[in-house]
Amino acid sequence: MKERGLQVLLVEDNAGDARLLREMFDKEIPGSFELTHLLRMSEAVTHLAKGGVDIVLLDMGLPDEHGLDTVRRAHTAAPSVPLIVLTGLDDEALAAEAMKEGAQDYLIKGQIESRALPRALRHAIERHRMQTETDLIRTQQMQFKDEFLSHVSHELRSPLTAIYQFVTILQDRLAGELNPQQQEYLEIVRRNVNQLQSMIDDLLEVTRVQAGKLTIALECTSLSDAITYTVNTLQGAATAKGITLSSDIERRLPSVYADPTRIRQILIILVDNAIKFTAANGAVKVQAHLSEQDPNFLVLEVSDSGCGISPQMTERIFERLFRVSDSPLAGRQGLGLGLYISKELVMRQGGQIWVKSVPGQGTVFSVTLPIFSLSNLIAPALQKETRTETPISLVVTKVGSRTGQLSDAVRAEHSHGVRDLLQRCLHSDLDVLLPKMGFTGAAELFFIVAIADGIGGEALTKRIREQLGSDEHVLQAGLTVSTSYRLLDAVKRNGCESMEDFVTKVTTTIQDLMNEEISSRTVSDGY
Amino acid sequence: MGTKKILIVDDDPDMRLALHVRLKANNYELIFASDGITSIAEARKHMPDLIILDLGLPAGDGFRVLELLKANDSLSLIPVIVVSARDRNTSMDRALKAGAKAFLQKPVHNTELLSVIRQVLGERNQTPAAVHDLGSV
Repeated sequence: MKERGLQVLLVEDNAGDARLLREMFDKEIPGSFELTHLLRMSEAVTHLAKGGVDIVLLDMGLPDEHGLDTVRRAHTAAPSVPLIVLTGLDDEALAAEAMKEGAQDYLIKGQIESRALPRALRHAIERHRMQTETDLIRTQQMQFKDEFLSHVSHELRSPLTAIYQFVTILQDRLAGELNPQQQEYLEIVRRNVNQLQSMIDDLLEVTRVQAGKLTIALECTSLSDAITYTVNTLQGAATAKGITLSSDIERRLPSVYADPTRIRQILIILVDNAIKFTAANGAVKVQAHLSEQDPNFLVLEVSDSGCGISPQMTERIFERLFRVSDSPLAGRQGLGLGLYISKELVMRQGGQIWVKSVPGQGTVFSVTLPIFSLSNLIAPALQKETRTETPISLVVTKVGSRTGQLSDAVRAEHSHGVRDLLQRCLHSDLDVLLPKMGFTGAAELFFIVAIADGIGGEALTKRIREQLGSDEHVLQAGLTVSTSYRLLDAVKRNGCESMEDFVTKVTTTIQDLMNEEISSRTVSDGY
Repeated sequence: MGTKKILIVDDDPDMRLALHVRLKANNYELIFASDGITSIAEARKHMPDLIILDLGLPAGDGFRVLELLKANDSLSLIPVIVVSARDRNTSMDRALKAGAKAFLQKPVHNTELLSVIRQVLGERNQTPAAVHDLGSV
């Protein structure tokens, strides 16, 4: 079988340069190279689209394309075909740039040695082939690893569930009385189940990060609540190690615009790590205050008096699977995923995370989170409405349960659906459905600021009542829904000095009305 | 009001036994099925007040079971709580859309399970038997 010659596409508008190259190819063994010569980029793109080209020799100054754009276009037209650029003596820097854009090599015109040319071509092809192969293997390996991790963590859950179920059955004396030693040992089992459970959760979380499936639900939420929760949750673990765990939260701290579950998750990871790397009699402290650099952010700090981190390691500590190699304090180290997950979570919520540490003295992890701003949410809609007597109203939808208390599980499952329905009821971009304001208890509250011209809160309220009142999911879930509206008749645009003043007044009034709703609900529902 | 009857559908015998012990201690009457087809037959036969349903099942998975229940007039009113090891992010919406009242991910905390059961059954003010739970970490 006769081997097919290498299909070379030469794109060169200078007849002299093209002839020189052609003469060099002619000296090679007949049939080893088959040269196609074109003059323009557009012709080259058409030719490449047909396929069959093994390598492209590309001049970077063509009549219909110039410089790096020639490389980009050729590369886009045929990403799998290796490319060598032809360049002048004074253009070596440009040629180096071309290699970043995907060219395999460059040849300087006038300095091409005829014997070196075929070798350069073959090497470029070979290099390109190896690179493609490596990329493919890497992608496949990553994909395989993610699928494997996801599968393994799911499979681990079932036996873990059984262990957890039967340990708690024994602990709850559902299979008879226990002596104190048995109780103690079962508590150890349960603690280890806990640990295993959080490792599996971390593994799953990482596969979600990799697949871009991390869910974040932003709402107006309290950072100090999350800190209190975390300190309470981990107080036992700290005390058991002889470590003082405390918090110091600046008074009257504004709410953040973030996912409360994710903030707790980040805090647990940071505080848990701090406890892990601090020796007995040490201290771990959680602080929160307004950012001095940017008033739109809060800063959260977790500091410890632990072993510290060396400067080389602080650079790598947020990497996936990074673990401190030989700390005597760490005990069981876990998987090395916590900080990686934290960083992803912080960044996805618009914040930043960094670490400062002095070996032997301690470490401070800092996280910034954006402050919740009601005026930022409603200002765009207010600015769109140009009439001076715009009627603004606050529409409130309360979702409760027919059985009295709305449990967290049911709430979590249905509030998303109700929110979707409300969003569909909105009339225009002049109605703003506010994010979840972070209440718990007997009812979930949804707030809509309606700046609708001529329609106003009344029509919107009517529409919501119709929609939610006839929704099958809402009815089946045994939810009670009530919707009402309040007119902000005291705030008029023409009574305000400026747009800014108007936005501030509307924001303050709405905030007051919402606070009223929340406190009246708390009193009347008795929870 | 008599004892409430719960049908537990799970192919893992350990899980069935664990739920049996836990729920019996809370005064529920229990029936079991380990695959999709049997679960429909058992539901028809016993008309339970509630079904606790796993998703990964032989002979018709949990979603198929939900579908069959909804298509049957007398069974469509029985509330279903899905308890599964599958990812909440990917399976919860689908289960709720298919008609489940709630989705709980394994391992389910005992307090959460009991409170959701009571809520779905419309029972109030009932103290559960002593409960130990997994920590929140």
